[in-house]
Amino acid sequence: MDRLSRKFLRARKIPGTACSGCGLGQVHKRILLAIEGLGLGKDDLVWGTGIGCAGRQTFNTWLGDNFAGTHGRVYALAAGLRMALPRERRIVLTVGDGDAFGIGLKHLLNCARRNLDLTVIVADNLGFQSTGGQYGPTTPPGAVTDSSPYGLDEAGWLGPDLDILEILRAAGATFLARHLSLDGQGSVESVKAAILNPGFSLVHFIYPCVTHFGAVSLAERDKGRVLAWFREAFGDGPGEPGGGAGEGPGPRVGTGFLKFGRGVFHSAPGSRPDYSEQVKDWTRKMARGQGGGLATGNTP
Amino acid sequence: MRRLFDTGNAAITEAAILAGLGFYSGYPITPATEIAENMSRRLPPAGGYYLQAEDETAAFHMAIGASLGGLRAMTSTSGPGFVLYADPYGWAIGSEIPVVVVNAQRVGPVSGITGAPGQGEFYLSRYPTHGGNFETIVLAPEGVREAFSMTIEAFRLAERFRTPVTILADQLVTDGWEAFEVPEGPGEAEALGLPIPARRAHPGPEFYPPTDEIDVPPVVLGRGTGGACSDWTPTEEGYDTEEVEAQMRHAFRLVYKIRNNRGLIDRSELLLMEDDPGLVLVSYGSPSRVARSAAREARARGLRVGAISLKSLWPFQDRLFPRHRTHLVVELNRDGQLVREVQRASGGRVHFLGRCGELPTVAELLEALGDVAAGQAPRAMPGARESW
Ligand code: SF4
Repeated sequence: MDRLSRKFLRARKIPGTACSGCGLGQVHKRILLAIEGLGLGKDDLVWGTGIGCAGRQTFNTWLGDNFAGTHGRVYALAAGLRMALPRERRIVLTVGDGDAFGIGLKHLLNCARRNLDLTVIVADNLGFQSTGGQYGPTTPPGAVTDSSPYGLDEAGWLGPDLDILEILRAAGATFLARHLSLDGQGSVESVKAAILNPGFSLVHFIYPCVTHFGAVSLAERDKGRVLAWFREAFGDGPGEPGGGAGEGPGPRVGTGFLKFGRGVFHSAPGSRPDYSEQVKDWTRKMARGQGGGLATGNTP
Repeated sequence: MRRLFDTGNAAITEAAILAGLGFYSGYPITPATEIAENMSRRLPPAGGYYLQAEDETAAFHMAIGASLGGLRAMTSTSGPGFVLYADPYGWAIGSEIPVVVVNAQRVGPVSGITGAPGQGEFYLSRYPTHGGNFETIVLAPEGVREAFSMTIEAFRLAERFRTPVTILADQLVTDGWEAFEVPEGPGEAEALGLPIPARRAHPGPEFYPPTDEIDVPPVVLGRGTGGACSDWTPTEEGYDTEEVEAQMRHAFRLVYKIRNNRGLIDRSELLLMEDDPGLVLVSYGSPSRVARSAAREARARGLRVGAISLKSLWPFQDRLFPRHRTHLVVELNRDGQLVREVQRASGGRVHFLGRCGELPTVAELLEALGDVAAGQAPRAMPGARESW
């Protein structure tokens, strides 16, 4: 257990049960570095998780309070929890690509529309990996997976003409960024900005799944070459698209499929109100107008 | 005490507000829309938050999330939304989070007829989610006054048992108008037998104790207790586990906290049962009102008939249905749901009279009672056969 783990995580859950070589631990670490950088402690935030590798591996690792939703529903749970918690208590969610951009997308978009103060970290392993490696909403075009044996020909949310971050921006999100788990301080800064944003934030972290995406889609077991493919496919710097199709080391998947690479995609803190705070404010005002306070049935 | 003349929907709203409701989320659906409308108007001045959800799945999840944060929470819907509750219902059962759920049943299947009463979710309210290994608590009002008192009781039961409680009403109850009385505050409510205890928070660390005891406070997040709750099988501290022994302990608690304390839940109204009549009408919800009139009228005509109206449906009250009696079950569906459970409980002679979208008349029930007393199948079901 390293310094960060000792400071923020539960000993019982460390080390986790992720496959060796999995990039998820890196994403987890970036979040903890951001929390440390902001000077936050265990009682300053409540940590929620979804289903899949990203959710299961991070559930109840946080030393403070934890909750996990069923597949795709943690956003709606968090919306209700947001109403109950004071503004200074942050809510951070670690979820997967299927959870956020597949089954939970409707709830996610509605959280963005309401600009609820949530920090959603999508730890994206480019498919349904915990169920054995089926394609998902962000699997690159052409990828061979266990459910696309002839190569994926369905458009996903990460393509040359379409990007899930655009949809989230249009839905009203006020902070959006994309990183690789390999990214350094820049990605930590994005998570910090996301947590500080008093509204809906999402940081899209793409990480290598060595067991399924690497081994099956890239047909590549050499970790160095898997990482090189990720670096190329997801560009070298903020806003730079990936390289040309078919030029990556992986024989089966090209890298030129991205409209937007890495970096901060959208940052507009304070540009829209957080609807949960709006409801709280005017409910308090109305209740005061009646000579009362908040409802008496709540936990004192 | 305020005296109101209003609908069941209004009574549910007023009762929830009296119970100190902190959060309501819903999605418009006939015939429960009026609860959401009333909440949006009445709840904020009473210090509670109203949130309209993007769908029923979200509505129930939001109510759970609010409850997780310490707010007394509720959601309401009708059948088509109740099926979308399946996912969060399971979450709240497994994580033991108190929430009050209202289902104003309408006639189905699927969208059916929006403004006509049905009783098609009798079994769905027992099995509102997948996976088994749980009991549910379901209350069934037959009119506006009971809709009021049961809403307050539902919050108490939900918190004592750490589980969602469903109020299974029907369109005639929620849209029907009656006079009802609203106590001025918790003190007056308690004097009327409707105590409103304060909500509590579990201090940890054993959030999921391996016991069938009730009155264990629920997990509340954001209070520095290290609270943990999830959809996974929990250890006592709320960690996710794959151990079968832990799953057995969890299942035992979910089932037996309810079965072993059912005396706090069981509710029924017995009419003309003192002389142990051989023929008994059985019903719940709005049909009970017709059944009682029919039982009285049958007695006036010299037929020894009693009536049992169930006010709590689950856990099912087997003891009310001894084998030696003949039961005629009246319900608002044509497939027969309550009747199956009465048959299972009694093992004796059980007949069925099903109506859909409207109540049977007293005359029809009398005719059916006459048929059954004469050893025949009830004729009051046009086109129906004896077997159900
Ligand atoms: S299956 Fe893939 S994403 Fe999941 S833990 Fe293993 S390497 Fe990581």
